[in-house]
Amino acid sequence: MVIGNPAFYLGLSAMLFAIGAGGVLIRRNPLVMFMCIELMLNGVNLAFLTFGKLWGSNDGQVFAFLVMTVAAAEAVVGLAIIIALFRPRQRVDVDEVDELKG
Amino acid sequence: MIEIGSLLILGALVLGSALGVVVSANNVYCALFLIVNLFGLAITFLLLNAVFIAAAQVLIYAGAVVVLFLFVITLLSADADRISTDPHPWQRNVGLLLAGSLGAVLAYLLAGSIFFSNDGKGSPNLGIADAGKFDGSVEGFGRAIFGQFLFPFELTAFILLVGLIGAVVLNRQQGEEGNERW
Repeated sequence: MVIGNPAFYLGLSAMLFAIGAGGVLIRRNPLVMFMCIELMLNGVNLAFLTFGKLWGSNDGQVFAFLVMTVAAAEAVVGLAIIIALFRPRQRVDVDEVDELKG
Repeated sequence: MIEIGSLLILGALVLGSALGVVVSANNVYCALFLIVNLFGLAITFLLLNAVFIAAAQVLIYAGAVVVLFLFVITLLSADADRISTDPHPWQRNVGLLLAGSLGAVLAYLLAGSIFFSNDGKGSPNLGIADAGKFDGSVEGFGRAIFGQFLFPFELTAFILLVGLIGAVVLNRQQGEEGNERW
């Protein structure tokens, strides 16, 4: 019974989180970095749901729902910041934002 | 056999589209790969009996958030040609190394702990604990979120309001003589 094996879902969740973290580390486009953050959040959601099912509780689903709501709000504010930062610039590149550099 | 094969296809779909998000040169392709990834994850959520979360995943993420991403990509020029050459090429290797170690540690801790903790009897099966009480139904989810978790649920409404106001305030345009034009 692989379909009921939590190790499959938890391994998938761990790899998804690692791929998202790698994307945040190596990509330089702020929009793609944001998408990678969404990947990480979804990996966490998968772990929440797996543990919720494993312990027979609704709490995992509630936590996943709250994570999704916060992710939506975070995407709105983050994209607004990205637009405000990069609309006057030529390149969409996180290395362009260095006003606070000493 | 069919079960294992379909699960492997599902896992390959989720992980492959996640890799597509990371490595695609075109930002629009990144967003489209993200949609594929979110649909694959919605199927995975269905396998975990989370029907409401799977539906909300498709509606909120694939329906709203990714469309928002696509709007911003088209607003900020979709061509990747303007990215300059990387001034810090070593950062890519360090990032890959860090992400790989993070993935190994997380996979060991999450999957490995489940696998080895069950008194050496191998991995426990999902749904063995109180199978009668929990069925992942929308009714149980609603009772949990409007009962025990009512206050956090109301707080999310406040967070969404803050996000709404923040998006408007961050992008208000400056008019003549420094007057703010709303």
